[in-house]
Amino acid sequence: MKESRREFIGKSCRALTMTALASQMSHFGLVSALAQKKAEADNGASDYKALVCVFLNGGNDSNNMVVPKHSAGYAEYNAARGPQGLAIPLANLLSVTPPSLGLEFGLHPSLTEMQQLWNQNKFAVVCNVGTLVQPITKAQYLSGAPRPEQLFSHSDQVAQFRTAISNSNNSTTGWGGRLADRTTPLNSGGAIPMVTSIAGVTVFSNGATTSPLIVEPSPTPLNQVLTLNGFGTTSDELARKTAMQKIRNEDLDKTLVQKAAFLTQQAVNVSEQLNGDPALTVTFPNTTLGNQLRQVAKLMKFRTQLNMSRQIFFVQLPGFDTHVSQIPGQGALLTQFSQAMKAFYDETVAQGISGSVTTFTMSDFSRTLNPAGALTNVGSDHAWAGHHFVMGDAVAGGNFYGRPTANGSIFPTLVNNGPDDVSTRGRFVPTVSVEMYAATLARWFGLNDAEMSLVFPFINNFPTSNLGFMM
Amino acid sequence: MPGFSVNRLIFRSIISCLFVFAFTFFAFAANLPEDAPILISQPDSTRALTAGKTRKGLDYSLNVFPAEGKTRITLFVTNIELLKNEGANAFRVDAQDSRYFRYPMRVISLEPLADRPWVYALTVQLHGQMGNVGDVLIRANWRGVASNRVRVSIGYQGGKISDDEGSVPTPMPEKPVVKEQTANLVGLPWTGDRVRFMQQATFGANAALESRLRRITYSTWLNEQMEEKRDANGAIRYSTFPYPVLTLQPTSPATNCGVTCLRDNYSMYPLQNWFFREALYGEDQQLRRRVSWALSQIWVVSGRETIQPSRMLPYLKILDRNAFGNYRDLMREMTLNPAMGNYLDMAISTRQSPNENYAREILQLFSVGLYQLNQDGTVKTDAQGNPFPTYDQNVVNGFTKVFTGWSFCETTAACPNRTVNAVNFIDDLLLNPNNHDTTEKQLLNYPGAVSTIPAGLSGDEDLDRALDNIFYHPNVAPFVSKILIQQLVTSNPTPAYVGRVSAVFNNNGNNVRGDLKAVIRAILLDPEARGNLKTDPDYGHLREPVLLVSNILRPNDATSNANAAGNCNNQSDGVLNGATSALDQDVFNPPSVFNYYPLTYVLQNTDLHAPEFGIFSTGTALKRPNFINQMVFGTGIERSANSPCGTKINITRWQNLAASDATGAGLVDGLNRELLHNSMSPQVRTHIMQAVQAVAPTNTLKRAQTAIYLVTTAPQFQIQR
Repeated sequence: MKESRREFIGKSCRALTMTALASQMSHFGLVSALAQKKAEADNGASDYKALVCVFLNGGNDSNNMVVPKHSAGYAEYNAARGPQGLAIPLANLLSVTPPSLGLEFGLHPSLTEMQQLWNQNKFAVVCNVGTLVQPITKAQYLSGAPRPEQLFSHSDQVAQFRTAISNSNNSTTGWGGRLADRTTPLNSGGAIPMVTSIAGVTVFSNGATTSPLIVEPSPTPLNQVLTLNGFGTTSDELARKTAMQKIRNEDLDKTLVQKAAFLTQQAVNVSEQLNGDPALTVTFPNTTLGNQLRQVAKLMKFRTQLNMSRQIFFVQLPGFDTHVSQIPGQGALLTQFSQAMKAFYDETVAQGISGSVTTFTMSDFSRTLNPAGALTNVGSDHAWAGHHFVMGDAVAGGNFYGRPTANGSIFPTLVNNGPDDVSTRGRFVPTVSVEMYAATLARWFGLNDAEMSLVFPFINNFPTSNLGFMM
Repeated sequence: MPGFSVNRLIFRSIISCLFVFAFTFFAFAANLPEDAPILISQPDSTRALTAGKTRKGLDYSLNVFPAEGKTRITLFVTNIELLKNEGANAFRVDAQDSRYFRYPMRVISLEPLADRPWVYALTVQLHGQMGNVGDVLIRANWRGVASNRVRVSIGYQGGKISDDEGSVPTPMPEKPVVKEQTANLVGLPWTGDRVRFMQQATFGANAALESRLRRITYSTWLNEQMEEKRDANGAIRYSTFPYPVLTLQPTSPATNCGVTCLRDNYSMYPLQNWFFREALYGEDQQLRRRVSWALSQIWVVSGRETIQPSRMLPYLKILDRNAFGNYRDLMREMTLNPAMGNYLDMAISTRQSPNENYAREILQLFSVGLYQLNQDGTVKTDAQGNPFPTYDQNVVNGFTKVFTGWSFCETTAACPNRTVNAVNFIDDLLLNPNNHDTTEKQLLNYPGAVSTIPAGLSGDEDLDRALDNIFYHPNVAPFVSKILIQQLVTSNPTPAYVGRVSAVFNNNGNNVRGDLKAVIRAILLDPEARGNLKTDPDYGHLREPVLLVSNILRPNDATSNANAAGNCNNQSDGVLNGATSALDQDVFNPPSVFNYYPLTYVLQNTDLHAPEFGIFSTGTALKRPNFINQMVFGTGIERSANSPCGTKINITRWQNLAASDATGAGLVDGLNRELLHNSMSPQVRTHIMQAVQAVAPTNTLKRAQTAIYLVTTAPQFQIQR
């Protein structure tokens, strides 16, 4: 199992230069039936799909993001969190009633824009999602059944959400990158890499052959995110530029030198393509997430010029590690989240691609139901399963999705040491694995069943690769 | 000698084909550095002399090996002189196929031949995913130096892969290779080894340090750097430039605190400027500064949450003070430091409301890591290859209890630095016994460990026992040693190198554990760090932004910018954080406790660690040459309200070289010597020469600028090898 995941060292000399990618792909068995599918589907500009991952970094406490509002559910919640001051007052919760549960729930009071989108059926909640190596119950967990490596550790759980591989932290490829590897034929002729991160280097974006584009967020104009200064048109400048180019092709047998040269060359190539800064219709909030999603929207608006028909984006909002002062801290972050998501959604509507763009959240983990500290300092510690949002016109919105928890419903029992808690502090065992969640998105994106296990090596450990939240 | 009988068998079978070539042996090594290991080939070709396992024992005649993960190949290597305890784990072996895919091979064993102890049988295992690739070229790397490459067939004989240029047969030698001392003597100026030493031990080479090192040798210089320094008042000083004078401020800035007030009291600006001045000009604290900077990337506290530089300074002083101290002292001082207590929430963790944050991170990031390690830093595994976790949630719970009850020092009696209207970030955290959990605590369990603390002890006793429990865990030595090697020398040290340094961490020779002086010395003087030229393809590490900037500024005599005031003393003001933060290294403001870049970052599609690549991407790749353009062709960093002196480089020295040799060779070779420690390949040299020669020879400024730009923007310079 371990050996099969470990990619060999595939690098050196010409192996990773752009022109040789084709032969490398065949080496990896990547050229697939999808190529034909692309030919069939290739009937014009209408074939555009994009996935946008919004990573809530630090471990978002989804216990306060989606809260039972019906009396029995709220009573349990309030009993677990009220005394220390971490419970949100019932009256402040923004009401949503998912048909799948037939009960009233409430969104965090900062999510006003998200509630509007809910009312238009533009977003769905996927409940109790977390890292898993196989389905597991509380009893099985307590008796030592296989579980993800290093639960409750930030770096490891972040990596596992991004790689969709939970029994090891050694993977150098993420599910975004592997999905791009397999769906490259759907994007033939694309001028820039299929995966773009607006939030720096992340394993999510790396595939076996996919090397992501990484750009900085707005307000840097799109045509200035990658520029090489200092070259005019005099003969000595041109000679210097030529030399610089040639130097990048030398000493490529040195692994780290090769990697630095490759990334620099990729930046130079892309900088020639990003020669405009398209104007957007919607005004985005000038926030960390707002500026990242604004840059995503600009790249989307540029899609036709860049001949992109499939794109995967990664953005990130940090700060969710609310061990302390969670009430103001998470509140401000969710306000930022809600406003940026709404602006982004509205911009996709303006661009006519709201049915082609699906935006979803991931996070390290949720947080303990049992608070850490009390009163003004109150926060929560690292836990396990949490709830996630999926947004777009292709989403079967206005509903909750998931798999049954110990209580038979898809929503866990909010009781410390209750039937879903593997500790005594409200760390819920996931019923939806990262794989099930991601595979549902990947299928919509165009990944076929035959290749599902190539992107998600452990998907067959789970009962389904389709949770039904995509139309 | 029963263990060697098999080897003798091999040897007898091949002896017939040896003697003819015995006298020609030395010629083939001409292409390799004198300290390179030599893989032995057939007498008349570059095909490896190999042996493989059969039912009847070893068969030396095997030359086509089945493409299975279990296949083992025995190669023969010579021209190595092993240290005590240096064995298989000192080697890294790889095979490259005709498609240029390179596969790491697991090194199984290394044993000297009985009859020829100067030759070793090196047994490796094929990579599981190799397939029937036909002929491959195999290389062995030892102490950062690559061997010649020899040919072996996997699956079938053939396939289009040509020998390395200039390679010749390297048949079995009749006697040890005699080392001929070539030009690389210690006393020569600007040897590759000395320049690389400066890049490892300081923030960059410069001429004064070069000549000093040549005269006094590394060891004396290390002593000199490590010895106590005192200021004019006789107090011990840990920096060349005095620390900025900073006062604890109210948590919320006063309403009349304007832009400058915020910059100086609520941002890392004063500390960043001080840090860069230390890096550029702090000659008598260069090594301490490097080590302190490295430790700050293990024991991470971020200015993003600390906000006030006055709150950050005591934390930085702990790093400086303990850079040449003992790791156990560092652990205690860090644990009780208020900035750390604030950052990882120990300062608010109480018996009534415990917080796991510090407990988890001190284990995972600052001391033992997640998995049990061998002393050479490799991960221990079971028969199925699964690692053993170092601890579980019970242990995290135990340490969480240990760390309860400590908070900011706010009583008049115990807290000399208490400041009215400000939180005390200077004095150690103070124990409030009422908030300390005195129940029994589970600690780390390992052979010899005292793995529980009984109920009823004081918070102080609990802390000492718990820190001892961590400090004596066998993981600490390899865990910390490897990170420090990665910071100073190379991202992928061989296990043997880690093992040598770990051994010093465990015992400095005087039965002291955790002596960082000894550890740093062991790291920098190790044979894997030393040597004129490193040819192992996986050697070295990416220059993180701070090192890129300082490694360019120091050799180019950075000064203040034009028209700077007299109090600038002709020196840069150190306002350089703008340059590094554009490259995703905002000094003292790492984004999280996982540092500017994850220390565990693995390069895509490889099994190689490359921590600094965590912030090298398409997004930052072009900002490196853009910074260099600004310094070399532009006017440097101009003076401004936030930069009273500015920064520029002085390239007169290079201009003089350009003037003295119209071909440009003197200039390019000088840069190769002083910036690339003679590692520039002939091809790169040709490209740079062409660009230099495209500039009129009379325009010595532009020639110098062109050459410096091309050398420092080269991927070959981004990686410090």
